[in-house]
Amino acid sequence: MPLRFPGALPEHPTEAQLADECRRGNLRAFEMLYQQHASRMKSLAFRMLGSRADAEDAVQEAFLKVHKAVRGFEGQSSLATWVYRILLNCCYDALRRRERLAETAPARDFPAPGKLPLKLALERALAMLNDRQRIVFLMFEVEGLKHSEIAAILEVPEGTCRSWLFEAKSQLKRILTETAR
Amino acid sequence: MKFECGDLEQALRTPELMPEAREHLRFCAECRREYQLWLQISSTARSLHEEWETPELWGRIRSTIEAGIQPAPPVWKRWPVLAIAAAILLALIATPLLWQRAHTPASHAQPGANGDDDFLTEQALAEVEKNEAAYRQSIDKLSRLAEAKLKKPASPYVANEQEKLLAIDSAIDETRANVKLNRFNVHLQTTLADLYREKQQTLEELLSREQKN
Ligand SMILES: [Zn+2]
Repeated sequence: MPLRFPGALPEHPTEAQLADECRRGNLRAFEMLYQQHASRMKSLAFRMLGSRADAEDAVQEAFLKVHKAVRGFEGQSSLATWVYRILLNCCYDALRRRERLAETAPARDFPAPGKLPLKLALERALAMLNDRQRIVFLMFEVEGLKHSEIAAILEVPEGTCRSWLFEAKSQLKRILTETAR
Repeated sequence: MKFECGDLEQALRTPELMPEAREHLRFCAECRREYQLWLQISSTARSLHEEWETPELWGRIRSTIEAGIQPAPPVWKRWPVLAIAAAILLALIATPLLWQRAHTPASHAQPGANGDDDFLTEQALAEVEKNEAAYRQSIDKLSRLAEAKLKKPASPYVANEQEKLLAIDSAIDETRANVKLNRFNVHLQTTLADLYREKQQTLEELLSREQKN
């Protein structure tokens, strides 16, 4: 892809403008895309992979894949949806690589002591959910994405997404009630 | 319908049942605890958003992208040039041999040889593909080994080698896709073999340096 330097990109481009400029290889547009989503992407990857270093690697890999494939992005979904989908795939790949290497549980960067006990209990309970429950819970409750956005990222109907979230919360409630006893 | 403790779960899913549930909660401490926990799960979840500074991350992404786009001087030191040069060299060696074989009388020609010196015979191709699969497996093993051994955060040397590996991988993907379309093309097969060799050498160097450190 030819390299383009900051060009005619408005200060607040629409998603379509941003997608167009990314497709043209405008690095400034990629940087804007990064600024818009990196914080949430890092957090999501951190919750999936359990370490900040791995989360940063996943975000980096996702953006490199986005850059490589963006010319073929035809806008069937929004650019952001597509970016998150790629990030999730990078996280799943990382988890699979970890499984293949038969690593033990990753060194988790647990938050500093002094936080609410429920927060710690919830972190641990989250690890006991199945993949779809965990990812929907993380995207909706932790990162604040809308059901419509999550449904588009996961390519499932919105009702399915709501139902997975309900399953996740019921399961968490059950785990937390049991461990509190 | 008389609302019972077991109905709470259903009420949480069905907003229409919530007025009855609330009435029940006034008198049932156990359900009240469960309902509070339900609400707390959502409110606590927000605090699980993890925020930390990564001032260097975009720079890393950007320089990897740029390294993949811009030919950085000195040009003779860049790996794709080496790989292409090696591919040309090998093709120069291989071509006369193939040409000779292609021009031997038909009775001696291998099945599939069509007189085009750019193409492998069916039998030679089977051999090449078998070797490629074995080679890929051993390199994948090496990759996994390297991945496990590399320390984090990566040193500038390691980061540079990782970028190089990324570029090699993407070249391998591209060449393999072309090979799929044109399996008998000797130049593509040679380029692919070279890229594998380049990847192997890079991984081996990376591993030996990491072991020394
Ligand atoms: Zn009750």
